[in-house]
Amino acid sequence: MLHRLRLFRLLLQTMTEIRSTAPAATTFFTRWLLPSAPVSITPLITFRIVFGLLMLASIIRFWWRGWITSVYVTPKFHFTYWGFEWIHPAGAMGMHLVFGVMALAALLITIGLAYRAAIVVFFLAFTYVELLDVATYLNHYYFISLVSFLLIWLPANRHYSVDTLLRPELTRLTVPAWTIGILRFQMAIVYIFAGIAKLNYDWLIDALPMRIWLPAKSHLPIVGSLMYEPWVAYLFSWFGAVYDLFIAFFLQNRTTRPFAYVFVIIFHTATAIFFPAIGVFPYVMMVSSLIFFSANFHEKLLSRLPFYKSTTLNTYGGGTPYRYRYTSLFAACIGIYVAIQVLLPFRFLLYPGHLFWHEEGFRFSWRVMLMEKSGSAYFTVKDPATKRRIEVSNTEFLTVLQEKMMSTQPDMILKYAHFLATHYKKQGLSQPEVYGEVYVALNGEHSRLFIDSTVNLAAQPLSWKHYTWVLPYDKQH
Amino acid sequence: MKKGLILLVIAFIGISVPQACKKPASNDTTPTETNGFDKKAMLTHYADDLIMPAYAAMQQKIIDLQTASDAFIAAPSAATQATVKTAFTAAYQQYQRVVAFQFGPAETALLDVYVNYSGGLDYSFTTAGQLTGFSVDTLAIENNISTGTYNLTTVNRSNLYAQGFPALGYLYFAPNATGKFATNGPARNQYIKDVVARIKSLVDKVASDWTAYRTEFIANTQTSNGSPIGNIVNQLAYQLDMLKGPRLGWPLGKQSNGVVFETKCEGYYAGNSIALATENLKALKKLYTGENSKNGIADYLIALKKGTLNDEVLAQFDIALAKLVLIPDPLSASLVSQPALADAAYKEVQKLLTLLKTDVASATAVQITFTDNDGD
Repeated sequence: MLHRLRLFRLLLQTMTEIRSTAPAATTFFTRWLLPSAPVSITPLITFRIVFGLLMLASIIRFWWRGWITSVYVTPKFHFTYWGFEWIHPAGAMGMHLVFGVMALAALLITIGLAYRAAIVVFFLAFTYVELLDVATYLNHYYFISLVSFLLIWLPANRHYSVDTLLRPELTRLTVPAWTIGILRFQMAIVYIFAGIAKLNYDWLIDALPMRIWLPAKSHLPIVGSLMYEPWVAYLFSWFGAVYDLFIAFFLQNRTTRPFAYVFVIIFHTATAIFFPAIGVFPYVMMVSSLIFFSANFHEKLLSRLPFYKSTTLNTYGGGTPYRYRYTSLFAACIGIYVAIQVLLPFRFLLYPGHLFWHEEGFRFSWRVMLMEKSGSAYFTVKDPATKRRIEVSNTEFLTVLQEKMMSTQPDMILKYAHFLATHYKKQGLSQPEVYGEVYVALNGEHSRLFIDSTVNLAAQPLSWKHYTWVLPYDKQH
Repeated sequence: MKKGLILLVIAFIGISVPQACKKPASNDTTPTETNGFDKKAMLTHYADDLIMPAYAAMQQKIIDLQTASDAFIAAPSAATQATVKTAFTAAYQQYQRVVAFQFGPAETALLDVYVNYSGGLDYSFTTAGQLTGFSVDTLAIENNISTGTYNLTTVNRSNLYAQGFPALGYLYFAPNATGKFATNGPARNQYIKDVVARIKSLVDKVASDWTAYRTEFIANTQTSNGSPIGNIVNQLAYQLDMLKGPRLGWPLGKQSNGVVFETKCEGYYAGNSIALATENLKALKKLYTGENSKNGIADYLIALKKGTLNDEVLAQFDIALAKLVLIPDPLSASLVSQPALADAAYKEVQKLLTLLKTDVASATAVQITFTDNDGD
């Protein structure tokens, strides 16, 4: 086992770093995708520390609130991701162990001890947990999975870490520019796609769902009484859209950056106050946005921390820039990654019908706080052979969270229907048919029938194709 | 890009300024509308005019029940049984008027679990032998009486099915209820006394705890899960789910291919299931409207410009009530003789449930889970 680990580490090391100072042969493509000019490592160091700390805090919060048990242990059924049906929760002990390991990994990432191993473990554990149940899908969890994946390949432990304390020869004070660029790119993707997602009729012209959500916030001091005013809902909607669309550009631009970061703080503090239910998301964005700041800024920031040795002193062999081996392979991988990130959120264009209604191509696309959708789902299981007919109590199988999520999302409705068919087959029904009477209300419109209640869902396959059993949407006026 | 930004800013000003300027004009005509809605006044009204008086009335009905119960066990006869039936029915009906206040002190005390255990929505009605819905564990009751060793505070399904109103129904009104005092009379008397005393102590505790809880209740005008407004809206949906399931649909055989479970009706032994269900639904309507006070969830919906939805909810309450009262008591007999009547009421209750769980919960932006979400 230990031997294998050592081999794995060696493999990662040889794959990622080249010690020779000879510049690798570069093509136009690698230069474009992999800008390799050496830049200060400091932004990566800050990022590693704040990311690790934030992950540690959110794991502790999740544990403290008892969610490990209520979300991953108690439920009798889990909405698996298509293709990941083989991923199962590890039981009460196992799940707590996974979170414990994740917390330890987050701590190791923060202090930069056994960083590579820690970030690999963190990525695997976190992604495993996220793949357990679609009902828990949150965009910022997806973001964390992506960032921790990227961090596997970045030398974020090569300065101001326990690793370099133990082995000073590992210290590198400069890294290729793309290692910071890829994190900025990821941030920009989140913001810009969140902004594009807001460019729809309901959001801009009707100020929905803000007009529904804000009156529920009238308890807030000072601004509370304004929450019923339609213009406030328009202010929130439009400010949110403009902010998301352009903040990444203003953060990237050196002159506008400090001003833009003030907006980052204001915007995310506001979302944390107004919508506390979104959890750690505002904090993730606030600290991650620091990646846009200059090396000088990070140098000053880090120099306030104990035991920090300035990168400008350069006393212990850090003069060699961090270099990657196999740059063309890296360039190709990054090219693919970037393409996926840019294209995936647009996959909804391949589907007919209203995106918010059908939710085909909705996840993994940075659609955050975008609509008010709720539903009630009633299922009937019928056995044509024996003419038996059973109305299902969802509470028997689902948690409140799962039922809420399932009631408005077609793929989850189908997964649940398939589960019911399997369950009742075990109960002695020979060919269980499952019918759903589901009502959904979108953005304050009156609830209406969501799926064709005469279709046997048990016979409908999971598919990437458009689900024709979901009834078409017509906007009410 | 800068041009785009300028354009957006102009468009934004273009939209928000006229909105802002329109406001004073409408302010003159309908001052209350633009000031929004006074949630604290609503919660104060709920606490002072609905919830606390209902618990006070409940306390009184339990005292009356205790008196009648003591008279019955002192001299079990048709006459004392009739007296206790009146008191029992009155107390049980009053309980239906507080059942939707299952939050705060009632939740802490587990009032609904001890006083009128419903079995929960997560146990299906598939086999007759199981303790589900409003079953009574008669074996456990008789065993408690004969052994004399029991602890009514223990939370396990059998124990919960051996106390509260359902157990009293069995002890007072089961076939040959009066004759059963012939054997083991003093132990039977003591058990009944203990069950009544347990209900009384729980109700007294909840009623007195509300005095302190009131401050917290009226001060929290949020709509998050566990907030008073969140609790009220969620309880409306939950209680309708209970009415649709354990109170009506499941005994009717909705989960069991039409196999009727008449003994699992609420109030089976007293034979007043529909009277109780009707009282339950009336109480839910009262909770929804706030009793025409201009301070209810209904009025909040109107303030949110959801008047049409509100009208529809009110109409659906009345339709469901009208269908419910058509079912003759005892429900246990009607489920077999006239299942179509129960089925019709079931359908209307489900429509009402959908409106409250989907449309009203959505309009009031009430959250039903504690866990994080990023807006659907």
